Amino acid sequence: MNKELRRKKRYQAEKRFQVYGIIAISLAIFFVGILVTKIFSDGTSAFSRTMIKTEIKLDADLLGITDINNKDEVENADYYTLIYDEFTKSIPFSNDEEEKQIITLLSPDYEYEAKDFFLKNKDQLGKTVTILLTASDDFDQLHKGNFPRDIPEDRRRLSNFQLQIYDQLVKENKVTKVFNNYLFTKGDSRDPELAGFGGAIIGSFFTILICLIISFPIALMAAVYLEEFAPKNRITELIEININNLAAVPSIVYGLFALGILLNVLELPRSTALVGGIALSLMTLPRIIIPARASLKAVPPSIREGALAVGASKVQAVFHHVVPLAMPGTLSGTIIGLAQALGETAPLLLIGMVAFVVEIPGSPLDPSSSLPVQVYLWSESAERGFVEKTSATIMMLLGFLIVMNSLAVYARQKFEKKWN
Amino acid sequence: MELNMNREAKVISKNVDVFYGNKQALFDINLEIFKNEVTALIGPSGCGKSTFLRCINRMNDVIDICKISGEIEIDGFNIYKQGVDVVRLREKVGMVFQKPNPFPKSIYDNIAYGPNIHGIAQNKQELDEIVENSLKKAALWNEVKDRLNEPGTGLSGGQQQRLCIARAISINPEIILMDEPCSALDPIATAKIEELIDSLKSSYTIVIVTHSMAQAARVSQRTGFFHLGKLIEMDETDKIFKNPNNKMTQDYITGRFG
Ligand SMILES: Nc1ncnc2c1ncn2[C@@H]1O[C@H](COP(=O)(O)OP(=O)(O)O)[C@@H](O)[C@H]1O
Ligand SMILES: [Mg+2]
Repeated sequence: MNKELRRKKRYQAEKRFQVYGIIAISLAIFFVGILVTKIFSDGTSAFSRTMIKTEIKLDADLLGITDINNKDEVENADYYTLIYDEFTKSIPFSNDEEEKQIITLLSPDYEYEAKDFFLKNKDQLGKTVTILLTASDDFDQLHKGNFPRDIPEDRRRLSNFQLQIYDQLVKENKVTKVFNNYLFTKGDSRDPELAGFGGAIIGSFFTILICLIISFPIALMAAVYLEEFAPKNRITELIEININNLAAVPSIVYGLFALGILLNVLELPRSTALVGGIALSLMTLPRIIIPARASLKAVPPSIREGALAVGASKVQAVFHHVVPLAMPGTLSGTIIGLAQALGETAPLLLIGMVAFVVEIPGSPLDPSSSLPVQVYLWSESAERGFVEKTSATIMMLLGFLIVMNSLAVYARQKFEKKWN
Repeated sequence: MELNMNREAKVISKNVDVFYGNKQALFDINLEIFKNEVTALIGPSGCGKSTFLRCINRMNDVIDICKISGEIEIDGFNIYKQGVDVVRLREKVGMVFQKPNPFPKSIYDNIAYGPNIHGIAQNKQELDEIVENSLKKAALWNEVKDRLNEPGTGLSGGQQQRLCIARAISINPEIILMDEPCSALDPIATAKIEELIDSLKSSYTIVIVTHSMAQAARVSQRTGFFHLGKLIEMDETDKIFKNPNNKMTQDYITGRFG
């Protein structure tokens, strides 16, 4: 009877344990679900941009163009006045204040957009054309339904007059949403509707590239030496322990190091992908060395013996046989290390990659931002337009991380040799 | 079995002691291995057969804690003398391991690797010839000639072991060491390897470690019996199996221990 009871208890304990496990997993999925839903619901609207359709007469006098073939004239024509005059003309207003309110419905870059349009449609000079102009951030958010209309006018960023214009434009079918290519092609901007993470992506790319170029060969060589050649003694033991410790050092410490040595002593250019990449490679080194050593260790000794027995030198045995066999594991470790580096923010903040960078960086020596830093920067801004862009940037970052981690799994499964 | 009367010692072991750290694995081994004969080393597991075999091509060098004293002469030259090039030594002394260990590469590349690193072949055609001859000598050619580009690891166990023998032969060694080459194989594959060993002895000096006394009796001309790190007795195989001098040898071959 006692035995029976105990058996029952054991089964119950097992059941209970499984239930705890299921609860834990459900909770985890629940929270990840909330996070992802929140990011997507905030971020998807960033992928579209609100445009206002406007009829415009490409007036040569207004533009100040006398000869269409004169490059200089076309280049420096007065697109600002053209749009200002034509756009305000299209909507009736009664005083200067209202005129100002009309023009601020457009994003401040309208003169460049008009210029781009004109350069592609020079033959239309003197004719009336329909042109799409990017709407201001507030207008954009209003159209996306993120703008609260029912609060008192003095607490709103759009006046009653502006709301009226919006309703009128919508009625006339003059408001449309297009795919927001600015998000991918532009750098940062004070105006949310003109800001993009294009610069941040290029910055991240250069940073990770530098990180890869520096950390991969060094880590591989270190792993090969420690695993295959180094004598097993106190010193190598100490090195091994320290490598494991380095992998656990908070990343901001590497940032401090980069700040102190790379910027202050070596005087490398501030805010650049070069310095960011070096700082991140310090952090990534141990994270590659550890899986690389594990992969080398996993290559059966019989392969080394086989090579040595036909007269290969130790170096030949290692580089002809062991290293290639350890490559899949090493590569997957490298990709995961780089993915971690891609999401790293703190060290980059310290070396000044947090700067407001409008220009898309052309090389690792240009000041640049990076995806996680862009998230950090935009998350500080109150404008609704930056809130959606923050989430869109996170989506982008997550996308890259998922791709990289899948690649790592693929590298391991596809190329790793199975030892029977 | 008729024996060559003017035998020539290919390998001579003189006072060889081997230590793994503090533990002595071999005690004062003195023996001779004759040219173009098969010499079998038998004894219970852990008695030091592999350790001794690995002394002959200095494979023990890769084990940090392994220390060797004494001399092993090959053709009268002490391979443990200072400054001996182990790469050259292993060109001369090939080895086949207990578990087949082909490289995870194509059958062709498995054989071509040795000749390549030693620069034995002048061109692709010569290399092709070496590969073909090695596989023929290892009695594997007919089975694999149509799939030289397939991975060596895809062959059966017995074929893999013959591939490893072919790989050892490819650099034209004078001595081939085999450490229980059949222990992972089925009887049919074993029979093939034994046949192969017999055919190879005209060109090579072969030392084979085996746990099977029947195998030692079948393939070898001379047999050495090891026990607890000591060479108890070494003599003609016939003599060892029919009328050993030592009581312990007698007990071992009659299956009283081991
Ligand atoms: N790499 C090693 N490190 C430490 N001890 C070893 C090593 N290899 C073999 N030995 C020891 O040396 C002795 C002889 O081993 P071995 O030569 O493999 O025997 P056998 O091949 O006859 O079975 C055994 O006691 C074994 O434990
Ligand atoms: Mg053994």
